Amino acid sequence: MGVILERLPGAVKGVPGAGVVLTTADVFIDWSRKYSLWPVTFGLACCAIEMMAAYASRFDFDRMGVMPRPSPRQADVMIIAGTVVKKMAEPIIRIYHQMPEPRFVISMGSCANCGGPYYDSYSVVKGVDRIIPVDVYVAGCPPRPEALFYAVLKLQEKVQKMRISKGAGATPQAEKGPRNVAA
Amino acid sequence: MNIESLVADLAAKVPGVVLAADPSYVKSYPTMRLSSAAYLLPAASFLKERGFDYLEIITAVDWLGPVSPEGYTRGGRNPHPFSAPEAPALVAVKNPAAAYKPAFDMLWCLANIPARARLLLRLEIPREDPAVPSLTGLFKAADWQEREVFDLLGVRFEGHPNLKKILTPDFLQGHPLRKDYVHVKDRYDE
Repeated sequence: MGVILERLPGAVKGVPGAGVVLTTADVFIDWSRKYSLWPVTFGLACCAIEMMAAYASRFDFDRMGVMPRPSPRQADVMIIAGTVVKKMAEPIIRIYHQMPEPRFVISMGSCANCGGPYYDSYSVVKGVDRIIPVDVYVAGCPPRPEALFYAVLKLQEKVQKMRISKGAGATPQAEKGPRNVAA
Repeated sequence: MNIESLVADLAAKVPGVVLAADPSYVKSYPTMRLSSAAYLLPAASFLKERGFDYLEIITAVDWLGPVSPEGYTRGGRNPHPFSAPEAPALVAVKNPAAAYKPAFDMLWCLANIPARARLLLRLEIPREDPAVPSLTGLFKAADWQEREVFDLLGVRFEGHPNLKKILTPDFLQGHPLRKDYVHVKDRYDE
């Protein structure tokens, strides 16, 4: 309990003499949510190799609560790791909408950010943010696992700022306003 | 296996097949050039009988030559992105000796795995309404490869049971590996 009080000064109060702490629902929900960001396994190209390395023992994202899930229905975050071709755009939209809210998207690598070296191609979507809302962009071609790690930390910061008063739960999509994903 | 005798046998059996000149070679594999599409099926069935029963590759080369990039959509450079595409103009060829011509150079690669031998067949066909006989009757593997060549280069394979797009999405128009391909903007472009 001492650790909790140290880690969350101001947000959590200990009750003297009792094994109890008091905090707000916002802090408690966000705190538990940010340490269980489960990504849906979704590798599209060579960035997926770095993503797999990030999950594996050397970088070990499990210690951040990032555990890859085989189904979008169990996942909180989708890591778009690789080139998004136009033929894959529709499955991406479908998988995104199968994830329960709140859902987040990390765009990993130059291709997912803006098309990257395939910007002139006839078959590549020029950035995954043209089809689904993106929370964190990771630069690199491909980004190292450390860069993906930083993106997860940034996403955790974002999750920690979510508030029930803003519609908890709060889909990032709802906070950003409606978006025509079919356009 | 003696590849020289096989090449001689093939040339004797199918008269329209000759050993190609050096520039047509792919690496150092013996390459036979067909003088007409009618010789493809006899040559392929002869080679299949002689152990070349593995169709490795079907592909084609577009020899149209360099085209102006202006016709290709990018940003806002194309003034009429949704109008029917016009073929981009050919640009001056820096090397006049280059073999640019309005033709597809078809390539079939057959392998004989026990003999560790590989033999290539080439056939030049005009770019206008290109069509060659399908090898699906001889090799099952020809099915998807011919669909791929049809999808990306627009070569029709006569006798193919199911000649339709295999790689590009349904909304993509045209054949992207053609030199004069013009991209028509679709819903995922800006």
